[in-house]
Amino acid sequence: MALMEVTDLTMRFGGIVAVDTLTFNIDKGSITALIGPNGAGKTSAFNCLTGFYKATSGQILFEGQSLLNMRPYKITHKGIVRTFQNVRLFKNMTVMENVMSGCHSISKQFVGGALLRHPAQRKEEAEIRRISEEALKFIDILDLKDRVAKNLPYGYQRRVEWARAIASRPKLLLLDEPAAGLNREEKNDLVRLIRRFRNELGITVFLIEHDMGLVMEVAEKIVVINFGTKIAEGTPEEIQANPLVIEAYLGKDDDEGGPVQ
Amino acid sequence: MLSAGEVILQQLMNGLILGSFYALIALGYSMVYGIIKLLNFAHGDIYMTGAFVGFFVFGILAGTVGSSWGGVILAMLAAMCVCGLLGFLIQLLAYRPLFDAPRLSLLITAIGVSLILYNTVMIITNGEYMFFQHSIPAGGLTFGNVTITWVQLVLLAITAVLMLVLSWFIGTTIWGKAMRAISLDKPTCRLMGINVNKIIGLTFFIGSALAAVAGVMSCVYYGSLHYFMGYMMGIKAFTAAVIGGIGSIPGAMLGGLLLGLLEAAGTQALGSSWKDVFAFSLLIIMLIFKPTGLLGKTEIERM
Amino acid sequence: MEHNENIKLQNIEVTANTAAAEEAAVEEPTVIQRKGIAGAWDNFVEGMYRLVETTKGKILVFGILLIAVGTMPLWASSYVLQVAWNAMFYMLLAIGCNIIVGYCGMCDLGYAAKFAVGAYTSAILVKTFGWNFWLTLPVVIIFAIIAACIMGGPVVRLRSDYLAIVTLGFGEIVRIVARNLEITGSASGISGIPRPYLFGVQLTKIWMWFFVFIILVIIFVIASNRLKNSRFGRALEYIREDEDAAEAMGVDVARYKLWAFIMGTVFGALAGAFYAMQMAAISPNSFQFLQSANILLAVVLGGMGKVPGVMAGAAFFAIFPEVFRDIGEYRMLIFGIALVIVMIFRPQGLWPERRR
Repeated sequence: MALMEVTDLTMRFGGIVAVDTLTFNIDKGSITALIGPNGAGKTSAFNCLTGFYKATSGQILFEGQSLLNMRPYKITHKGIVRTFQNVRLFKNMTVMENVMSGCHSISKQFVGGALLRHPAQRKEEAEIRRISEEALKFIDILDLKDRVAKNLPYGYQRRVEWARAIASRPKLLLLDEPAAGLNREEKNDLVRLIRRFRNELGITVFLIEHDMGLVMEVAEKIVVINFGTKIAEGTPEEIQANPLVIEAYLGKDDDEGGPVQ
Repeated sequence: MLSAGEVILQQLMNGLILGSFYALIALGYSMVYGIIKLLNFAHGDIYMTGAFVGFFVFGILAGTVGSSWGGVILAMLAAMCVCGLLGFLIQLLAYRPLFDAPRLSLLITAIGVSLILYNTVMIITNGEYMFFQHSIPAGGLTFGNVTITWVQLVLLAITAVLMLVLSWFIGTTIWGKAMRAISLDKPTCRLMGINVNKIIGLTFFIGSALAAVAGVMSCVYYGSLHYFMGYMMGIKAFTAAVIGGIGSIPGAMLGGLLLGLLEAAGTQALGSSWKDVFAFSLLIIMLIFKPTGLLGKTEIERM
Repeated sequence: MEHNENIKLQNIEVTANTAAAEEAAVEEPTVIQRKGIAGAWDNFVEGMYRLVETTKGKILVFGILLIAVGTMPLWASSYVLQVAWNAMFYMLLAIGCNIIVGYCGMCDLGYAAKFAVGAYTSAILVKTFGWNFWLTLPVVIIFAIIAACIMGGPVVRLRSDYLAIVTLGFGEIVRIVARNLEITGSASGISGIPRPYLFGVQLTKIWMWFFVFIILVIIFVIASNRLKNSRFGRALEYIREDEDAAEAMGVDVARYKLWAFIMGTVFGALAGAFYAMQMAAISPNSFQFLQSANILLAVVLGGMGKVPGVMAGAAFFAIFPEVFRDIGEYRMLIFGIALVIVMIFRPQGLWPERRR
């Protein structure tokens, strides 16, 4: 069953067509990847899904509901959460406070609650802390919770971002190049984590990624785009054997093996 | 009594002159904002300082070159040099150390610089009004009961010439191109071998020199000057820059003239006690309906 | 098969590596120990934080503070009391402004307009319409909310730089409108406002106001701390740190910015209402740009977002002109120079960061 259906998605910047009639589905409970050479329109497509760009035309349905013209925060409230290509943490806040931001979309106390601190507000606050600590435990960084985010090494900042994302208990997790800047060990760790997100938390995962090895290892379905349009879709094995994909990555007259790096 | 046509002509002239002042100051705001994204709060006080430098130089020269146009032009050139240098120094000492700091710190520093200039001039002048007495011949072109003075015409001409020169400078010289490039992408400019700090310094020099011209012109036009003349002028010139589209050079010129004309019309319609409210309301309306300004470009955010 | 084993092997490697890395990461971050007065100041503040974290320490510190301040009317001259009262008034404004500037990171150059709204509302209702002061407070809050929506509505969607100039514009508009309207007493303002009663006593003496303001400061501190340590306050801080990331986490940025504006205005307007009653007179000159700049500077110098720092900043701004009365006109010049120097060497404000 499709959790998200993208139909004929098109995104233009002035005269440039970044995404051109892109159509694909994200199945519920799957790990799907969107790949493509540099400048293929991956990030633009991604930003359309999360509401950060406004699609020029086409349709994006999530659980049958259109996400077009929806502000990013509203999309998050629907149960879709994203990470950023170059980690965007709340730098001067603690790890715990960062992860608590994940709970924003699943809690509702406002000014009144904050000023009065009534039982409902206290209960919700305790719940936010519990969920956040669980998320930190899941990523295995609970002992860093009182550290200021900007003082952490890069790899850990990435982990905080993942913890922040899962604290919002999303249905769909969108990862924007999650392996960028990670070393080999950390990438393997990431593969394990992505599987755990799906298997243990039941989160559907969609990622765009440069690292072909990682994508082939973790994704169950891969969508390949070039110049904004889809050129292939299928399992990792099918993609590796697809001549169009090989051409897109390696050029036409190259008879060296598949795109796996 | 003036006829409707004469009132329009008079207010048109008032608006154009006021608009010239706004435009010349707005250029400095817009250039600096374009290049380092700073609301240079001290810019209004540079205009005021320019007026005082011009006033003192004019006073010294009055004995030798006389107190007519010759003296005014020399005073203007002197004020341009002094204020240009002042702007450059302020940038060097106060702003440069903070280019990588949070933007709010830079803004606060600019307020600090503004306080320094303002209070220095206040102490020097004892907080009193100064009177700029020149012997420029009166008279001009007369239309019915309205006279457009030579002073007004010369001031407009100076503004026009400066704007043309600046447009040429920004548009065709290598320094102008570097300025535009820096406002688009500073790190890339560094990689391409542009001396970014030097160009930023140059921007401050030019912007401050233009404000100084406006300062001396307002001395000639209004005949008096005081240490707090820069505050309102500065804010309104910034308003003009925003209306025209901040960061855009033609925008600053257009915005300045437009604000001057609208303010003249507003003053005529509502009375002078409401004229500042009118200008600010215009700013707010502009920001609601077209926040990029008349000639500003919409930028697409990159993630 | 082989492939699978490989992964397993790698996993073991991974856990070993992570453990090692974690140890490295968990190490306390290196804190640059500053020298001289700055270092002593850092240590003092850090020590106070540690002390206040324990219950005993809390009672000790706040007890001493309360006794010292509470007994002031017994040993201080009425001039000193007046200055202290003024310092507390600035603290109220700075705490309110801190919600907008410190928590949410919006640059507000027109905070004086916000306290003008409260001061004028209360003064007009008491003087012209003969209301009881305490009954005007709910009206002040309602007017503050309306004013904040009018002033904040257009700007919360704009980039932060525009916000500075628009708040400044509104600051000027409020002042000019107050100067030109009949009901606000035009340029001379409103004077001879009857002082309110509390528990049957008319608040005429400065020491009475001194206590009223102590209570107000305590209420403001508690309220602003509660706001900060809540879902609402955290959302504001997320916006300050990174607007896009905040939006991605589900924060309705425009709505929260507007509410930060509203809360800041309500705080400022309430402080303004009490100010009008203590002064018994207000005029448009009380709400000049310099006033707004002073409040903003108190917040920034105090270290945006840190309530004790902001209060210290406010106290400094109230006391500085009094201490340097003798140097007269050089006062603001020195002040400007000090401001630039502080910003260059310590752009994050004078209040130290917590070490963690």
